[in-house]
Amino acid sequence: MEQFIQLLISGIAQGMIYSLVAFGYNITFSTSRSFNFSHGNFLMLGGVVGLIFFINNQVPFLAMVLAVVFVGLIMGLILYKTSIEPSLKSKSNYAWILATLAFGIILKNIVEVFWSTDDFRFDSPLGNAPIRIMGIGVLPQEILIIIVAICIVVAVESFKKYTIFGKAIVAVSEDKHTASLMGINQQFVILFSFLLSSVIACLAGVLVAPITMVGATMGTVLGVKAYAVSIIGGLESGYGVLLGGLIIGLSEAFTARYISTGYKDAPGFLILILVLLFLPSGIFGKKIFKKV
Amino acid sequence: MLKLSNNFYLIALFKMKKRIFMMLMGVALITTVSSFSTIGGDPIKIGVYGPFSGGSAPMGLSMRNGVRLATAEINAAGGVLGRKIELVERDDEAKNERGGQIMQELLFKEDVSGILGPVNTGVADASTKYSNDRKVPQIINVSAGAKVNDLFATNPDNYIFRIAANDYVQSEMIIREALQKRKFKKPALLCDDTNYGQGGRAKLESALAKRGIKAVSVGKFKLKDTDMTAQLQEAKNAGADVLLVYGIGPELAAVANNLEKIAWKVQIIGGWTLSMSNFINNAGKNGNGATMPQTFIENGVTSSKGSKFLAAYEATYKEKNIPVAVAAAQGYDSMYLMKMAIEQAGTTEGPKIKAALENFKKGYTGVTGTYKKPFSATDHEAIHEVNIIMGVVKDGIVVPPNK
Repeated sequence: MEQFIQLLISGIAQGMIYSLVAFGYNITFSTSRSFNFSHGNFLMLGGVVGLIFFINNQVPFLAMVLAVVFVGLIMGLILYKTSIEPSLKSKSNYAWILATLAFGIILKNIVEVFWSTDDFRFDSPLGNAPIRIMGIGVLPQEILIIIVAICIVVAVESFKKYTIFGKAIVAVSEDKHTASLMGINQQFVILFSFLLSSVIACLAGVLVAPITMVGATMGTVLGVKAYAVSIIGGLESGYGVLLGGLIIGLSEAFTARYISTGYKDAPGFLILILVLLFLPSGIFGKKIFKKV
Repeated sequence: MLKLSNNFYLIALFKMKKRIFMMLMGVALITTVSSFSTIGGDPIKIGVYGPFSGGSAPMGLSMRNGVRLATAEINAAGGVLGRKIELVERDDEAKNERGGQIMQELLFKEDVSGILGPVNTGVADASTKYSNDRKVPQIINVSAGAKVNDLFATNPDNYIFRIAANDYVQSEMIIREALQKRKFKKPALLCDDTNYGQGGRAKLESALAKRGIKAVSVGKFKLKDTDMTAQLQEAKNAGADVLLVYGIGPELAAVANNLEKIAWKVQIIGGWTLSMSNFINNAGKNGNGATMPQTFIENGVTSSKGSKFLAAYEATYKEKNIPVAVAAAQGYDSMYLMKMAIEQAGTTEGPKIKAALENFKKGYTGVTGTYKKPFSATDHEAIHEVNIIMGVVKDGIVVPPNK
């Protein structure tokens, strides 16, 4: 029983990490039908900037978080201007896929060349020793990740629901052109969603760093798994990613323990295929009707 | 069509302003002169490849630094056969297919006389075929799992050599340390899913089988996995009293850290990669006691050659603790072995260098040990058990066992 709960907690923590990253895909997909395919590398950048400021230069924690937010804003702006906007304007609707992938590769290589190719330890400000409750060990950072992930999703979803600007975002995601006719600056809404998404990615990088370690490749696998989480939860649904994250995180932990460690990732991706087959817009997703 | 374009060319030449024409002539003259001046001292090209970016990069970069250091020393001392050594370096990104591409480029385009590297087992196995076909000697200086002596079966004329503790030797030493020396009875295996990890697992299992023992559990993890709870629970429930691991730094650190999380105190013994800086740093105090076979221990250097190497390394690369000291030392020694073989052969022809490698006239005292005859016609492994000691992680560094 003790082991079961230990696994459960590990699975939930891992799942929340995925959800946090996956949420970045959702935010921009709902407004622009496009997202940053190298979201994982933005997370990596956040982790690296956090490490340089907080660990290497002993900058206070809050100042470091502000720096990471600032980097997130700048990178989001550059990404939008170079990879998203030209693609949305042009006739080819899918150029953003390759453009954002390329952006991520460049980012990763820059970090490798000018910073380091090694993996570094990021000491959690909450301490590295696990808290032990009735024999079950939980890292303080894991608890923090679970809380922050849920808070961010709830905050953004409430923002969309209860504020005027949030409602504008929903309007753009419902119907871009009608929203424009109603006086909503849809380009600004899309830009805003990209800024928000990249800031969240960078913050997530700092948040998961004590668990994953910081290195140029820290975001690659996370980005892919988070993508699966997004699809399972529904690309349009904020709360869906929390569920999707739990599904993948728990399925990994329990498969590794009770079936085989070699098949750890298989059930998650099996679920992904099943969802794509039977619920193409995700478990929580809205059905999209395209009028021709 | 051809005639027309020729005419165009001539007309263009006539029309060319005199001044520009003179300038071009000048440039042409300078390049001819400078190329003339290098003839007679054509450098000997040696290919070096390994992962210089990505997760395995610390191993690749340390190895390359070791090779560069040796090359700089050799060139400063007048080179080989009166010629300088020129390194042709390529990044294989730890990708198997890149290994094959790089080998073709090195062998057919750059026309190198010898090859050093690589680091990753999969990359090595995907590329050694090319050096054998082209008859250019290759000294593998980091990869422990790559096929070397195994190649004799398919290639009696084998051009692949190695100066690194191979997995047969390593797994034998790991098992001996665990069962004979420390008297553990129930080993659990935990290996990553790469060619390196799974090759290591197979060799550990057969070394156990020789002693009539079966691992109580065999777990697997992927690169970049950070949560090992399930794997460790499985081993613990199976009643394991020692954990034998085969993987690389970051994931091994995750194993050590997860042990702390589930509050299981168990000895870790594994491949040489437990000495990588990214294991030691990331595992912190949880890594203490991890034991691994080593050909070179930075903090246990006793030979003058070793301390000279460390001083030169620190002066050149400004690194106090070499990220992967074993790779740097083996890289350094591999360059010297290649240089001495070329010297002995008196030529850069592949078959003659290979013959020299197999029959060393002068012994070589290197950083990783003293080699009277590093290789023979039937054994292309320079490192044997006598060259290896078991290192132990202690408070952030690797130390010899008795320290």
